[in-house]
Amino acid sequence: MSKFSKILGVLVMFTLLLTACGGGQQTQAPTDAVTEVPTEAMTEAPTEAMTEAPTEAMTEAPTEAATEAPVAGEIDCMGAAQGDEISMLYQWAGAEEAALNQVLQPLIDACGIVLRPESTRDQALLDTRVQAGTPPDVAFWQVSQLVQYEDQLVSMDELGANRESYGEFFIDPVTINDEWLGLPIKADVKSIIWYSPANFEALGYEVPTTWEELDALVEQMVADGQVPWSMGFESGDATGWTGSDFIQDIMLVQQGPEFVNGIIDGSVSYDDPGVRQAYETYGTWATDETYTVGGAQGTLSTPFLEAIFKPFADPPEAMMVKQSGFAGAEIKTQFPDLEQGTDYDFFVVPGIQGLQGSIEPMMVFNDTPAVRALVAYLSSEQGGANWAGATFGLSPNLGAAGNYVDPALQKLGDAIANTQGFTTDIGDTIPGGFGSAEFQGISEYVNGGDLDAILADLAAAQAEGLNQ
Amino acid sequence: MKREQINKLLNKVPTHVIVILTMIIWIVPTVGLLVTSLRPPEAVRSSGWWTVFGSQTVGGHYATYCAECHGADGTALPQADLTNPDVIAKYPRSLQLLALLRKDINGQPHMGDNSLPSAQEAAEIATYLREAGEEAGSKFTFNNYIDALVGYRGEDTYRADCAAGTQPPDLSCTARDILNPRGMGRAFINSLLVTIPATFLPILFAAFAGYAFAWLDFKGRFLLFALLVGLQVVPLQMTLVPISRFYAQVGLNGTFLGVWLFHTGFGMPYAIYLMRNFLGTLPKDLFESAYLDGASHWTAFRQLVIPLAMPAIASLGIFQFLWVWNDLLVSLVFLGGTTPVMTYQISNMVTSLGSGWQVLTAAAFLSMLLPMIVFFALQRYFVRGMLAGAVKG
Repeated sequence: MSKFSKILGVLVMFTLLLTACGGGQQTQAPTDAVTEVPTEAMTEAPTEAMTEAPTEAMTEAPTEAATEAPVAGEIDCMGAAQGDEISMLYQWAGAEEAALNQVLQPLIDACGIVLRPESTRDQALLDTRVQAGTPPDVAFWQVSQLVQYEDQLVSMDELGANRESYGEFFIDPVTINDEWLGLPIKADVKSIIWYSPANFEALGYEVPTTWEELDALVEQMVADGQVPWSMGFESGDATGWTGSDFIQDIMLVQQGPEFVNGIIDGSVSYDDPGVRQAYETYGTWATDETYTVGGAQGTLSTPFLEAIFKPFADPPEAMMVKQSGFAGAEIKTQFPDLEQGTDYDFFVVPGIQGLQGSIEPMMVFNDTPAVRALVAYLSSEQGGANWAGATFGLSPNLGAAGNYVDPALQKLGDAIANTQGFTTDIGDTIPGGFGSAEFQGISEYVNGGDLDAILADLAAAQAEGLNQ
Repeated sequence: MKREQINKLLNKVPTHVIVILTMIIWIVPTVGLLVTSLRPPEAVRSSGWWTVFGSQTVGGHYATYCAECHGADGTALPQADLTNPDVIAKYPRSLQLLALLRKDINGQPHMGDNSLPSAQEAAEIATYLREAGEEAGSKFTFNNYIDALVGYRGEDTYRADCAAGTQPPDLSCTARDILNPRGMGRAFINSLLVTIPATFLPILFAAFAGYAFAWLDFKGRFLLFALLVGLQVVPLQMTLVPISRFYAQVGLNGTFLGVWLFHTGFGMPYAIYLMRNFLGTLPKDLFESAYLDGASHWTAFRQLVIPLAMPAIASLGIFQFLWVWNDLLVSLVFLGGTTPVMTYQISNMVTSLGSGWQVLTAAAFLSMLLPMIVFFALQRYFVRGMLAGAVKG
């Protein structure tokens, strides 16, 4: 007993001590705890890094930020004062957060804005904050949140965002009821197929330029005893999204962008024969183990990241994987020896009309000078160029074109700059529970479910989502 | 007599087997995670964690298929010297190697009468040839732990970046980095600041309340007690929005006090229930004689209840500590990213696409450290306390 009282005594002492510390921070003012953290991270450290080791950091690292980033004076601070705060909420974490900081660093340096970032993948946090009346100043979230929070958001026109920086088809998906509510901040192209040029060369395959050639190539691979596709659905709650991407690309090949946009706005029902045709085309590949690794079970149970790696493993388990642009960075991380262009590369889905992609919008809840400065900076040509230099995916901003450091991003950036059309992901765009219903429906279909029933259910979910 | 003993022993065997099996099932993944957290990420990608316990056999397939002509060290044929990097560079991977092996050399099949290696074997030969010149890296590393502690988010490791001078702007490569707001080091302190008061306060209040419900006579005592215990059914998630709104009005959002109050409120119903039932089992005579001797309620509480209720307090302490320490939701909503706790940092170690997991494994073990210490320090109270108040005298 005495030993235990000692332990308890020590613990209580410790508690009191720490409580005193914590309490001190508390009573001084809530802002104390807040400013203490960011200033250390955002203002002290960077200046130190800049002044103490400027040569290494600037000459070796991707030089875009240093050489092309204009002088601080060119950034319009929109009247933001030194020390103004912006609270932000986003889903990015780890290396992505570091890249975002790199993009925003010139703005911080120029205007002295202090960022209070929060990162979570839990949408409940955003919902709680908004419902509690304490939303973050800006949030980087999905397009469907633009619809959900239509009444709380400040329009981009009001904030003075530069419309000229974006192609019209990038502004359309983030415009809700004729109000431009989201700044298209980050894009990804989904309509691409990754393959290994080295393996194609060893086996004598050519990159297809039409859908028929792709079909013939797939049959050729099967005849040679190779597995053409690597598919993987598994992705936690969102299991099945890779299938929905593939099917939408097939729709774009078979029916075109009008059709896909029709599904998104409800003029085409999800049980249309065109949808059915795309499902069936996909199903012949996704459920057969001569066409895809492991057949239907392999498709359903393979994690989507694993699926990306299969064509580039040695020996390759498959020849091709259809995955968005982010796959390039994942392949490079997984196999540091491989080189973009010779060991891994991609081609745009042959015969596709327009591109399928995703847009991550930035939405604004509070109109403050600091937020205006952020919007102005990100929608400026220079903001786009800095985004490209940070190797943080693609930027829909026209200023990004030609400024990418990463060769794969450069190639994708060219594709996105030259595309004739751009459709967003059907599942991500239709509000309500349609997205997860679609993923689930596709998983059921691959698992041998009845296609008519699945499409009928999804058409109902589509109608419900759009009527909300 | 002997037979009975044997029977007794045999009867115990199934129980023991089940207990040991359960232990293994629980422990193996944890050991795997621990080993993984200590390995460099490149090694984790290429082989399973269990391989660190054995010695690796490499080049086995080279010996089978190639050594006969090319020699054990690859230099037997001068026109095809396998130690020459330029030669090897032509077939870095299995498909190219197999294509070469299928070709004829001087009109003869490359492999002669021997069979071709399978794709898997060819891949291993190609890897063996490529890596023959490279020196093997060390099997274990603390880099994952260091990266997690300082909150390094780059592509390489903190130590490599610091050596090259290319560290991210929020790191200075000095001892100060341990307090980097993105790292586990700073989060550890924040977690302590949240957890200790959030454990201490509900137990303190519950001890008061338990004493009152057990030994003070007042009207509506049972009803009030039932009501308090009934509060346990209120789901925490339901109250997030209203309490967040209230906190915003009184300025408690993002403060430690707000989290302490929240945890205290939600920890108390169970704590009071447990304390009241435990204190109810103490002999009545004890208190009566104390009162007769002139003890006030406060004296009785301090000198009788606290020492006697130690097992219950300790077990409550462990439960509440683990609950608060492992909580993500409450600290995410009420503290958020400005004063991140360990669970928040862990959830942000990997990118939204799942890369950076090697730091996650280390971070998970860092956050397990303190609960383990607490558990082992108080474990005898843990088992004793589980039954506290369960049997009412």
